[in-house]
Amino acid sequence: MKIRLFYKLFIAFAAIGFLTTLITEFLIERHLRSGLVRQVEMEMISEADIIALMPMEKIMEQGVALSERTRSRLTLIDFTGRVIKDSESHAADLDNHLNRPEIQQARLKGKGSSSRYSQSLQAEMFYVAVLIGDQKQPKGYIRLSRSLQEVNNSISALRKSIMQGLFLVVFLSLLIALLFSFGMISPIRKLAAFTEKIRTGKISGQIRIQSRDEIGKLADNINEMVEVLYEKIRKADEEKRKLEAVFAGMSEGVAVLDTEDRIESVNRGMEELTGQTAANMTGMTILEAFRNVELHDLLERFRKTETIVCREILLGEDRPVTMDVTISGMRGETSNGRKTILVFHDMTRLKMLERIRTDFVANVTHEIRTPLTAILGFVETLEQGAVDDKSKTLEFLQIIRDNALRLNRLVDDLLILSGIEMGEIGLHPERVTPVEALERVLLLVEARISEKKLKILNEINEKTSAIRADKDRLVQILINILDNAIKFTPFGGEIAVSASPGAEGFLIIRITDTGVGIPKGEIPRLGERFYRVDKTRSREMGGTGLGLSIVKHLMKAHGGWIGIDSTLGHGTTVSLHFPIFRDSELCMLQGTIEENRIAP
Amino acid sequence: MEEKRHTSAEYERELQEIKDRLLYMGALTEKALENGSVALLERNAELAEMIVREDDKLDQLDVALEEKCIRLLALRQPAARDLRFITTAIKITGHLERIGDMAANIAEKVLILNDFPQIKPYVDLPRMVGIVRGMIRKSLDALVREDIELSRQVREEDTVIDQINDQLFRELLTFMMEDPRKIQVCLYIMQISKSLERIADHAESIADMVVYMVTGKSVRHKSFS
Repeated sequence: MKIRLFYKLFIAFAAIGFLTTLITEFLIERHLRSGLVRQVEMEMISEADIIALMPMEKIMEQGVALSERTRSRLTLIDFTGRVIKDSESHAADLDNHLNRPEIQQARLKGKGSSSRYSQSLQAEMFYVAVLIGDQKQPKGYIRLSRSLQEVNNSISALRKSIMQGLFLVVFLSLLIALLFSFGMISPIRKLAAFTEKIRTGKISGQIRIQSRDEIGKLADNINEMVEVLYEKIRKADEEKRKLEAVFAGMSEGVAVLDTEDRIESVNRGMEELTGQTAANMTGMTILEAFRNVELHDLLERFRKTETIVCREILLGEDRPVTMDVTISGMRGETSNGRKTILVFHDMTRLKMLERIRTDFVANVTHEIRTPLTAILGFVETLEQGAVDDKSKTLEFLQIIRDNALRLNRLVDDLLILSGIEMGEIGLHPERVTPVEALERVLLLVEARISEKKLKILNEINEKTSAIRADKDRLVQILINILDNAIKFTPFGGEIAVSASPGAEGFLIIRITDTGVGIPKGEIPRLGERFYRVDKTRSREMGGTGLGLSIVKHLMKAHGGWIGIDSTLGHGTTVSLHFPIFRDSELCMLQGTIEENRIAP
Repeated sequence: MEEKRHTSAEYERELQEIKDRLLYMGALTEKALENGSVALLERNAELAEMIVREDDKLDQLDVALEEKCIRLLALRQPAARDLRFITTAIKITGHLERIGDMAANIAEKVLILNDFPQIKPYVDLPRMVGIVRGMIRKSLDALVREDIELSRQVREEDTVIDQINDQLFRELLTFMMEDPRKIQVCLYIMQISKSLERIADHAESIADMVVYMVTGKSVRHKSFS
């Protein structure tokens, strides 16, 4: 806004005033001049007419006096044009006047007039001439001349006053322009400031303008526009926030590719899946970020078919994870600006569950078939005649019985396991001292311990704090763990049982053996059903492969957990974390006991 | 002006495409190596045959990429860094193609080895495959990120591969001396190890060329100078 509105208005008003005054002045001056000149002419002609009535001699005598009376220069000219008498100079000095325009007019019409610049007087002069006598016998001419100075004077006086008027016009237009501009500019300024504020994003309130004219209307429109705009922005903001929350919160990884096929943005899920930061990945192409043939091929297929594509892809180098990758397009505002969205769904967990399930089915059938084959085989042998040999028959029957027992154990374990898993086995938690449970367990395994000449170091005594557990289940847990320890500890080894307070409110019962140990990588899989570290060996020892799985689930049902720590070749420590029994719980516990008793 | 900007954007895209193609070839070789390792460990003949078949793909990509680079050189007449990039790309694609051939060779040996009983558990070969894969990946990462530090790492890993190769050679030698019937199998294993060692050399060459591309200084054959 270099030329302000005020200057524009001022110049406009001043120009109008100026031009009007000038034109008026020009017209007035022209009319005034011609009017004045005509008046002078008529006056002089009538004077000349009167003088012409006088006899020539009289004029000659009284020429100067007449000249003074008429305030004019009087010249008497004879009909040949020779100057006879002049009131202001010697007649003899003057040349022939016959060809002067006023004389010529007078010769033809009786009177004539003309105005011209007189070189002799250095002024604009007005001349009138009148014929003496008639046209047929002209005796001479009376010529009067007078300076037009008076006329000029009055005209310049007029001009002067008009000039003064002009100044007044300029001054007035300045005032008017000021008034107008202030009247108009202040609301416009207000509007400008308001729109500026909107432009910078501070949308607040409304603009108030009193006037009812176009500017008022404009202000109303702006107010309405701002309101609509504000609502739209608010809605868009809300929508954006919602999408951002979804984008950030979803566990699936999402990557958006821009029109140049470079990663534009990734979400938190993506960062977690790939272990790279968003800042690191943005700007890369898919090949740069993942270096994966299948992913690139899938993207290519999407480009060709332009339809949503989906495939399971193994991603990552050291620890590949199975990802379900879906690629779809996002229509941009322009036809060529098409963005691509890649959604990565981590299938690792699902894959693992699937593997556990198929493993389970395979294992279960295998575990059942082994004893069944033995049973069938020996039954067939007996049928084919071995039944006649009494000692052989007894031996075979023993084997058949052992295998049947094994099958029975297996089915029992499976039933327990599924029972715990489905929450059908009711626990009866009560105050149990570890020492009483352990005594029961040691009684049961005593025979096998002494058989292998194992040394038992028992640090658990009456002082060990009581825990909250189901007594029978606790015995079951301890038997399972001790059974494993005995099984995998070589002849003459050592088994230590100890207890110490663990995390807040927990007691840890530790069973440490000097057995074969478990490889580090196998530990996480120990809780899986039928999982065996050394498949052939543990089966020889008569395990079902379900023991630790049952312990794991029982510990969970007790509100505790199991921890296994092992060094290959040196031994294994199993830590059982049990909640410590508190006296304050007694009343509450009785309630739960009742409830549990009612439950089937 | 508009026209100029357009062509420069086009040019940028073409350079990026070359980069992407190199990465794609790299990923293919990595996959071939990994599959080779799996085929060896799992005695999977089908997988090994697939590797041999898929080598054609790398050969085609090599030819196409080289053509593309030459076309770009002729049409755009790049200078300085771009020129170094394109010439480097031409060489790298050759190396990647060779790596692909070696991977196919390994797969062929795996097919033969499958017909013999395994003389010992494979420990060193999968380890070598892991390191070599990492080298290929790092050398191409160095190219993408113009990261000389990664190139240095690749050089260091090459010495590790050489050591494993020597160690394996000695180990196999004792096997062969113990039992002449194992000589055939040991030789095949040796050839696989040798191929892996050569792949590592190719990866190192790629890394060296990246150093040249970024700095303009050649570090190749440093040991000779």
